[in-house]
Amino acid sequence: MRKKPTRKRSDRYRLFRIVILAGLLMTLALIFLVSTLGSQNFGPLHKLVLEAVGPLQKVVTMSSAYVETFKSEYIDILQDSLRLREENKRLIQQLQENENILNKSREAMATNASLRKLLEFKNTLDQQQIVATTIVGKDPSTMFRSVIIDRGSNSSVTKGNPVVNNDGVVGQVFAVTPNYAKVLLAIAPSSAIDVLLQKSRVRGILKGDGTLTYRLEYILKTAEVEEGDHVVTAGYGGVFPTGLQVGVVSKIIKKPRGMFHEIEVTPSVDYQKLENLLILQQPKLGEIKQMEQR
Amino acid sequence: MVVLHFIAVGLLLVILQTTVCMRSPVWLVAPDFYYALVAYLAFRLDLLRSLIILLPLVCVLDVLSGTILGMYALVCFGGYFLLRQFSPKLPVNETLYQLPLIGLSFLAVFWVVHVFLELFQPGQQVAWSWWKMGVRMTLVAVCSYPLFFLFDLIQKYSHRSLLPWNRLRLRSDNRRRRRA
Repeated sequence: MRKKPTRKRSDRYRLFRIVILAGLLMTLALIFLVSTLGSQNFGPLHKLVLEAVGPLQKVVTMSSAYVETFKSEYIDILQDSLRLREENKRLIQQLQENENILNKSREAMATNASLRKLLEFKNTLDQQQIVATTIVGKDPSTMFRSVIIDRGSNSSVTKGNPVVNNDGVVGQVFAVTPNYAKVLLAIAPSSAIDVLLQKSRVRGILKGDGTLTYRLEYILKTAEVEEGDHVVTAGYGGVFPTGLQVGVVSKIIKKPRGMFHEIEVTPSVDYQKLENLLILQQPKLGEIKQMEQR
Repeated sequence: MVVLHFIAVGLLLVILQTTVCMRSPVWLVAPDFYYALVAYLAFRLDLLRSLIILLPLVCVLDVLSGTILGMYALVCFGGYFLLRQFSPKLPVNETLYQLPLIGLSFLAVFWVVHVFLELFQPGQQVAWSWWKMGVRMTLVAVCSYPLFFLFDLIQKYSHRSLLPWNRLRLRSDNRRRRRA
């Protein structure tokens, strides 16, 4: 019962305060408006406001400028660098592709030149049938010298067929499967080819020793041999055709004992660059085999 | 699975050796990868599985290399049994300490095979050269180290079979009853 008049009084007092304050503020605003519009002076209040707001503006502007600078200096650079990286990647890829194409074209030109030589050589041979082949594998052992080629009995290759390239004799087919064959190189120790010294027509046997030279055996000491003499296939036995280039005499060792010369022959074939070969299919070889079987 | 994996790896190594590693028919620096596999089998695998792996490997080597069939059988089996004899006597079984033995066994086996062939088929192979064989021996020893890691990985992988064969195996229902 006592509390009710107190609340009413305080409410009234509060309303009174609000009205007074609003009136005061409106009066001040009116005075400010009238004085400002009337005199058009940049008065102390304006100055005070400006002094208060100025630093804030300054901070914001500076921050904005700093952000702008940061953006231009770092973010844009980052974006540029990302773009440049992409560009760089694309250009490197393009360069690699171009280099690849260039290498392929160089390789094609080299293969073309090699095959052209081989074709010219093939045209000079009066063989009934010649099969072109490529080396697919090489003997890794230190004891033997042979290669695997990608032609076999399906291409009418038989054991004993001579193998040549445009430089001369390479070897002989040693084993045959339907699609592949094994070639015993002329530098192999188990290889023996009947040859002639082209100038003096002296006959001998050319053997390999596993290195990049041949040994010419059974040349009598009475025979005329000189360094630089060309060695060609003799054609006896019907395996190799006559007159195929084999090598050049590079060294003659004259010993007081024995009946024969010791002669070293440098191969006409570069065994370190063997790639494409020709297999000569000798027509007489079948007859020879038949005779051997009898 | 181990056997199949090692046969495949052996074939791959032989093919690599006869193609990529041989720049020319007289190229010397061609590592004999297959011998590293022979050594690995001698040190790390049981006899039966090793022989099953070696048989096709030897056959492929004889086909792709050499003119005397059976030479690689002599080399591989000779090397295998020689290393197998020595491996239990080694004080340390770390790969690094086995490398000299692998190199020396390679040299010894090739020398014996060369002498053997020279006796029975003279003049059929290239003359023996200590320095060339020394180079090959060093290559075998050097290549064996990374290859042993590869073979270890293959062996580990082979044991982790992709198909759960054990679960697929049929078991009779009476097994438990009999136990009971």
